[in-house]
Amino acid sequence: MSHNQEGAAWSILGYLISGPLFWGGVGFGLDSWLGTGFLLPSGVIVGMGASLYLVWLRFGREA
Amino acid sequence: MELTGSINVIGYGIAAIGPALATGMIFTAYINGVARQPESRNVLQPIAFLGFAMAEALALFGLVLAFVL
Amino acid sequence: MRSVTNLRSAGEGFVPPGAKDFVLPPIFDSIPWLTKPILLVALSVILVSVFFILSSRKAAMVPSKLQFAGEGVYGFIRNGMAKDVIGPEFMRFVPFLFTLFTFVLVNNWFAIVPMLQFPTFSRVGFAYALALITYVVYHSVGVKKQGLFGYIKGIAFMPGVPKPIYLLLTPIEIATFFIVRPFTLGLRLFANMFAGHLLLLVFFLGGEHLLQGVIGLKIVSPFAFIAGIGLTFFEFMVQCLQAYIFTLLSALYIAGSLADEH
Repeated sequence: MSHNQEGAAWSILGYLISGPLFWGGVGFGLDSWLGTGFLLPSGVIVGMGASLYLVWLRFGREA
Repeated sequence: MELTGSINVIGYGIAAIGPALATGMIFTAYINGVARQPESRNVLQPIAFLGFAMAEALALFGLVLAFVL
Repeated sequence: MRSVTNLRSAGEGFVPPGAKDFVLPPIFDSIPWLTKPILLVALSVILVSVFFILSSRKAAMVPSKLQFAGEGVYGFIRNGMAKDVIGPEFMRFVPFLFTLFTFVLVNNWFAIVPMLQFPTFSRVGFAYALALITYVVYHSVGVKKQGLFGYIKGIAFMPGVPKPIYLLLTPIEIATFFIVRPFTLGLRLFANMFAGHLLLLVFFLGGEHLLQGVIGLKIVSPFAFIAGIGLTFFEFMVQCLQAYIFTLLSALYIAGSLADEH
């Protein structure tokens, strides 16, 4: 973490992008498979929540 | 002159103002805090980056919604 | 926008610059792959090599100006970036990072060098080729250091989390390390160079077009050129910054692969 300070913002951004991307993608796939419409937004929200949790694990715990 | 495009993009442009200001304010406060008390860096840093993550999450929500809706 | 449209003299409309301005025709019709960006890359390799060979050939205790410049850049990468970011094993990666930095920097500068005026990395293929090299380097460094399974395990499983949460977090980690990171790495360089070049095109082509308009527009047109010149200096800053960021992120990714626990 110490030598990693400059990179923290960049990696946070990476995590925040990939969370909604992955779980939103899963929701999108399920939506078109099951014919529903609510799974994509909920996937995005779940992914964002998981990303924030991950960011907390990575960068917030060592306070 | 004819303009074409999606109005979602304009919406996202407006929505991005908030997180932009928020990110600026978070790092302003962080830099101020560290400048006043350099030893508080280790305490402030995770907080600053978590705040940054929160603000950035909102910006990315806007981006996703601009594409999805 | 509307007022400009009305003021403009009737006749040919202004064609705003767009993505089509980045597709350059081959220089000789018989060789389809030989385009301007390819030549610029070759030129940049020659320039960088010649500069650093000249600056290091007659290395002396009292450096000449050329040697001083060359050593300044080298010291900046070695001490300012590699040593701080990567840590004790940094010396292995200095050649890679140094080459990356100078190559990207010179190619970005081509955007504002008169007569050349085309940033190589505004063609997305070049940016992604570089991102791919970094990708291969940082993954192979990680695999070599920790073994294949150790490396994957270190990426995918955060320590100290209840087991069911892994189902939620592991895909995100995998996606971040294997897809999002190289993607954003290449995209950042490409998008900055593309947008910067487009911005300059808008101001200079637009200023030129205003010059052909009615008298009211002729008066406005110098302001477009002045703004364009100002933006050229701004672009110079962006080019240096993007070269620095690309190299810094490569160093950070390598450092992340070298670290045992993240």
